[in-house]
Amino acid sequence: MSGVLLKNITKKYDNLQVIHGVDLEIKQGEFCVFVGPSGCGKSTLLRMIAGLEETTSGSMYIGEREVTTTAPAERGISMVFQTYALYPHMSVEQNMGFGLKMNKVGKAEIKRKVSEASKILKLDDYLQRKPKALSGGQRQRVAIGRAIVRGPEVFLFDEPLSNLDAELRVEMRVEISRLHHEIGATMIYVTHDQVEAMTLADKIVVLREGRIEQVGAPLELYNNPDNKFVAGFIGSPGMNFLAGYVENGAVCIPALNDKVIVPVVDLPAGTSKVLLGIRPQDLQIHPNTGSLKVDVTEELGGLSYIYLKTPTGERIVAEHRDKNRMTHGTNVQVSFDNNKVMLFDDETQQRIR
Amino acid sequence: MSHLNQASASEVCVRSPEKSISWLQNFGMWLANNKLLLVLIACSLLMLAPFLWTVGLSLKSNQELMLGASAVFHFPYTLNNYADIFQNSQVFRWLANSLIVSIGMTFWVLILSSLAGYAFARLEFPFKKIIFVIILMGLAVPEQAVIMARHQIFSALEMHNSYVGLILPGLSAPFGVFLMTQFFKAIPPELDEAATLDNANKFQIFWYVLLPLTLPAQATLGILTFLTSWNDYFWPLISATEQEMYTLTIGIASSQQNFAQSEGLGFLASQAIFSALPIILVYIFFQKHIVTAVAGGGVK
Repeated sequence: MSGVLLKNITKKYDNLQVIHGVDLEIKQGEFCVFVGPSGCGKSTLLRMIAGLEETTSGSMYIGEREVTTTAPAERGISMVFQTYALYPHMSVEQNMGFGLKMNKVGKAEIKRKVSEASKILKLDDYLQRKPKALSGGQRQRVAIGRAIVRGPEVFLFDEPLSNLDAELRVEMRVEISRLHHEIGATMIYVTHDQVEAMTLADKIVVLREGRIEQVGAPLELYNNPDNKFVAGFIGSPGMNFLAGYVENGAVCIPALNDKVIVPVVDLPAGTSKVLLGIRPQDLQIHPNTGSLKVDVTEELGGLSYIYLKTPTGERIVAEHRDKNRMTHGTNVQVSFDNNKVMLFDDETQQRIR
Repeated sequence: MSHLNQASASEVCVRSPEKSISWLQNFGMWLANNKLLLVLIACSLLMLAPFLWTVGLSLKSNQELMLGASAVFHFPYTLNNYADIFQNSQVFRWLANSLIVSIGMTFWVLILSSLAGYAFARLEFPFKKIIFVIILMGLAVPEQAVIMARHQIFSALEMHNSYVGLILPGLSAPFGVFLMTQFFKAIPPELDEAATLDNANKFQIFWYVLLPLTLPAQATLGILTFLTSWNDYFWPLISATEQEMYTLTIGIASSQQNFAQSEGLGFLASQAIFSALPIILVYIFFQKHIVTAVAGGGVK
């Protein structure tokens, strides 16, 4: 098993640069998740590590070996695709053993390795079936099995659960996590689903427009985001942002009836406009008072999310655990602990610490 | 008792028109619901009529047909005309020639079109688009326009009256290249990528992964090529000038050229049916694929 090291990696399609000088170290045995909105370059970066996309500049190492220009099959990686990419005319057993067959491994050895992997993934009963006779979850397990059989140094997952329904997704998420603990291999996982990122990752890499915004452990990113983008992307529902202006060292929030907050951090000199960030979980709702209006209520059983409209037109989401149902149009007020508030520079969008 | 008899008699009188009305109504409803079916049956009979007529002619002796074509509709029928075919030793030679040419052409068209289709769909090489367009332009060139030049080339190369001479022109199959290219393009590229990661080279990806997935297209192309080659008349007429190199179409046509000297209409009809038999068998066995071929993958 080996780690992965990326040094100033870039990718250009003609004149269009999609990856801008990425530096990243993924340690041996780490579960690293690339997360970001559509088009942020996370899949491209993964495919570059796989060797399916050429690297325009920079260097890439898997373990001690430089693999920047190495052929995909010689990098010691296995990849699980979003669409499974199983060979439709081959049985599960043939699918899983195809890579070994291409590497001229003996039939007995192929059978042994396939049998080992199928045991781990509980695929023993399906070995002779064709992919079309399997459910989505089983197909994805075969795709993972095909990756395991080759005994790679690094596993790459390209949005492997996107094609599954919600229930199966949770099931497979747990299974992938179990697999990581069992095999202990380095895994790189691409997703746009931040819940997957939070639950699976040892390390999350948040990407935007081909640049790394922040790298860190899931809770570190949640509790200590570097900028508005990361703060908004990590956590579900996303963090609320309200415009504020600085007056006499305090922050005034027009959306909350010019509520004044004394920040717990020092505001840099010359700061006039800030964004106040507060997570939905940190907001308390007080019904039948105040000037915020309930727009939509999402009941999830144990809790509900209340979508509020402020007099300035800004929107706020608050997590609500009270049994009392909030109806559309109800007037409410919100309160929060000042220590939970994060402030961001309105211009640079960077966190003010 | 008499009351009872009267009642039952009146019931009978009333019931029978009811029954006939309901039967008529049912038939009327069936007709209304199956108008399209009736039209199709009528069209099918219309299409089938010439074939059935030929079958009828082939089962009649020449003497009877000389008296009038209506002989087709009454007994006696005879298989003598078919027996006469088998007495002409050349027919089996022509049949064999047709089979060799059709199977040979189908085999090579499938191989060449698949390889070309894979290359156009998956590989990058200089002038790919231009070459593809040039190949497609071949679809617009009628055979008649190039026949003289082709004849001269084959004549100069002394390839007339040979199987190679009969097969080779059919191997320039722009339709086959187009069909296979489109089919390869429809296969998700992730399969190639998965196979690349599995250490398969380009040819192994083609052979082990993609080619088996193109079987429906291969069946379509194979059947269409076989049918075209089997029914081809123009090129074999020019290229096969020696009797032993005739294909079935040319052979049969040659025996029909002088009707007065032929053995009559019944014999000609039996030859036509005999030459169509292999193609009818192919159609019956591959009916599903032929329908797919004609339907053109609209529901793929």
